[in-house]
Amino acid sequence: MNLIRAEAERLAARRFVQLMVLLLMLAFVVTAGTTLASSHTPTSAEVAAAEQQAAAERSVIEREHARCLARDRGEAWAQDRNHYLPADCSEIDPVVQGWSPTAANYLTDVFTFTQQAEALLYFLVAFLVLFGFLVGASYIGADLNSGGVVNLLLWRPRRMTVLGTKLGTLLGAVLVLSVLASVAYLVTFWVIAQVAGYPGPTDATFWADLAARWGRGVGLVLFATAIGFALATVGRHTAAAVGAVLAYLVVWEMGGRIMMQILDVSRPDQLLLSNHVGAWLAGELRFWDATPCADAFTGYCNGTYPLTWHLAFVVLLLFTAGLTTTAFAVFRRRDLI
Amino acid sequence: MSGVIEIEGLRKTFRSVRKGHRVAVAGFDLLVEAGQVHGFLGPNGSGKTTTLRALLGLVRADAGQMRVFGADAPQSLPQVAHRVGAIVESPQFFGNFTGHRTLRLLAVAGGVPVSRVDEALEQVGLRDRGHDRVKGYSLGMKQRLAVASALLKRPELLILDEPANGLDPAGIREMRDLMRTLAGNGVTVLVSSHILAEIQLICDHVTIISRGQRVTAGPVTEVLAGFDRNECLVRADDLTRAEQLLQAAGLTVTAHADHLVVGGVPDPTLISRTLGEQDVWVRELTPVRPDLESVFLELTGAGQQPTLPRQTDGGSAPGLSGAPSIDLDEFRGVQA
Ligand SMILES: Nc1ncnc2c1ncn2[C@@H]1O[C@H](COP(=O)(O)OP(=O)(O)OP(=O)(O)O)[C@@H](O)[C@H]1O
Ligand SMILES: [Mg+2]
Repeated sequence: MNLIRAEAERLAARRFVQLMVLLLMLAFVVTAGTTLASSHTPTSAEVAAAEQQAAAERSVIEREHARCLARDRGEAWAQDRNHYLPADCSEIDPVVQGWSPTAANYLTDVFTFTQQAEALLYFLVAFLVLFGFLVGASYIGADLNSGGVVNLLLWRPRRMTVLGTKLGTLLGAVLVLSVLASVAYLVTFWVIAQVAGYPGPTDATFWADLAARWGRGVGLVLFATAIGFALATVGRHTAAAVGAVLAYLVVWEMGGRIMMQILDVSRPDQLLLSNHVGAWLAGELRFWDATPCADAFTGYCNGTYPLTWHLAFVVLLLFTAGLTTTAFAVFRRRDLI
Repeated sequence: MSGVIEIEGLRKTFRSVRKGHRVAVAGFDLLVEAGQVHGFLGPNGSGKTTTLRALLGLVRADAGQMRVFGADAPQSLPQVAHRVGAIVESPQFFGNFTGHRTLRLLAVAGGVPVSRVDEALEQVGLRDRGHDRVKGYSLGMKQRLAVASALLKRPELLILDEPANGLDPAGIREMRDLMRTLAGNGVTVLVSSHILAEIQLICDHVTIISRGQRVTAGPVTEVLAGFDRNECLVRADDLTRAEQLLQAAGLTVTAHADHLVVGGVPDPTLISRTLGEQDVWVRELTPVRPDLESVFLELTGAGQQPTLPRQTDGGSAPGLSGAPSIDLDEFRGVQA
């Protein structure tokens, strides 16, 4: 318990942490400020006009879909070759696609919460991932380098406990900060939408989807934090963690991708961590896979496969756990000079 | 045995793929008993710091038994850590924290009341600068902070690796007084230093290490006595005659420009009597007592082979071992 208190205090006293928190607040103020300045509450006339426009657009889409179905049924009026319709009518089925125009799409200069929330959340998650990674790496990196770990071990000569407490405290602190920051962030923009914009159609599905993305985003922040911590522990330096990530990106994400193309590896995209990160955040990503189409001479061939967040979770978890275990194993035996 | 520190057969070899192996400690024994102020001496690179690191669990020993307060080190160190204050080779601190915060974090982590921080800073004369960043400390101030960190938990055993490093004369004297006070309060102290006169002043026991092995150990007086050759420095009105007379009396005499050194003299009156009987008058007659420095230089053979043999995988010629290295003792050897 004492150790946790000391580590929490050490973390909070770090200049780098303070600087990053300051940057986060700055980014927060800037985005909120510009949004507020460039948005206005739509008048009821504007909303009515936008709703009308959306309704018109919806009926166009429905008409097209109906025509497509009619063509498939062989009704004569729908057989106009000059009128483009997709081969598969579900592609323009608003119910299947889960999207149809709403008033929010036709409001100009109006901040619409439902439209922007996802992008705002991803921006915040990106910042927090960077924050978690750098803070995680520098927290242990600087401590290993400055002799802080050695001094601490003279007081608490249990390496695993000391390192474990550091990682635990770090993850806890990053989690608390991420939750607080993202809640504050979304609430602020929600309020902006209420007073100087348009909340949009916020139904249960919207909130559930946003909450799921948010939860996975915070999870990614924790993964990044643990990875930064583990890499810096193994490399004894903050810079080692940054270097390892850059090396991975250049060697595997770029070089490896090219090699896999040359070697004709099937489904290379699923071997890149970045795609799993994307799938984890988005829920699902689809990638092209030509193999099933290779012997399909004609007709329809769906050559895509999904990367789901379930798989991404397993991959990211195993990767992070593997790195962390390595870090602890290395630290356990290492000569600390 | 009331050994506070017991080390037997400690071995440590640093292995590096590129640079081969370096034997740092080669079967070293150390016994520090309760209440001692124990000097730990040895030339640069002789393995002092490595021994202390191994004892404190910072490096992994290859072989040997170590006990602190009877607990096996490093496995059982957690049980006794609160009784041991240590600094190992100019500890580093995080530069952006103040001295006060640095100690505070250690105190919190170790469950020591935070009020101890100011006391410890006071003890090492850092009270006024406690709230400055460590980055802005001078070398001696950092060293004082290190000592303060060791004192923080009111240890029963204090391990100080070159505590005087970087201290000014006043600081060295304060350190000496501090160690004496602590010893007076029953604290066992193990201190390594290159300032031998200082060690001679404060320590009651010494262990000398050379090339990773113990070359001597015991109470300072006994160690010095073992090197006492009963020599006397003699100045007289007629040195040439004095030399002849003393040689005739069966003593070994070494002539110097303005004095003689006479060996094998259990009782100096023998000299004054021998010379006085022949009308040669003694101006000065001083028994030459060995000091720690001369004993140290003699035992460690400093100046001749300053560096440890380096073993590469293929095995290397010992002749290569004196490879260029800046070595304080080599320096001293030249001056001696
Ligand atoms: N991390 C290391 N890697 C390789 N060799 C090392 C390492 N640390 C120490 N050594 C070697 O071990 C030997 C003993 O070093 P050590 O630091 O214990 O000497 P010391 O007696 O403390 O010397 P000094 O009086 O200079 O402090 C030296 O030859 C040194 O080069
Ligand atoms: Mg040393």
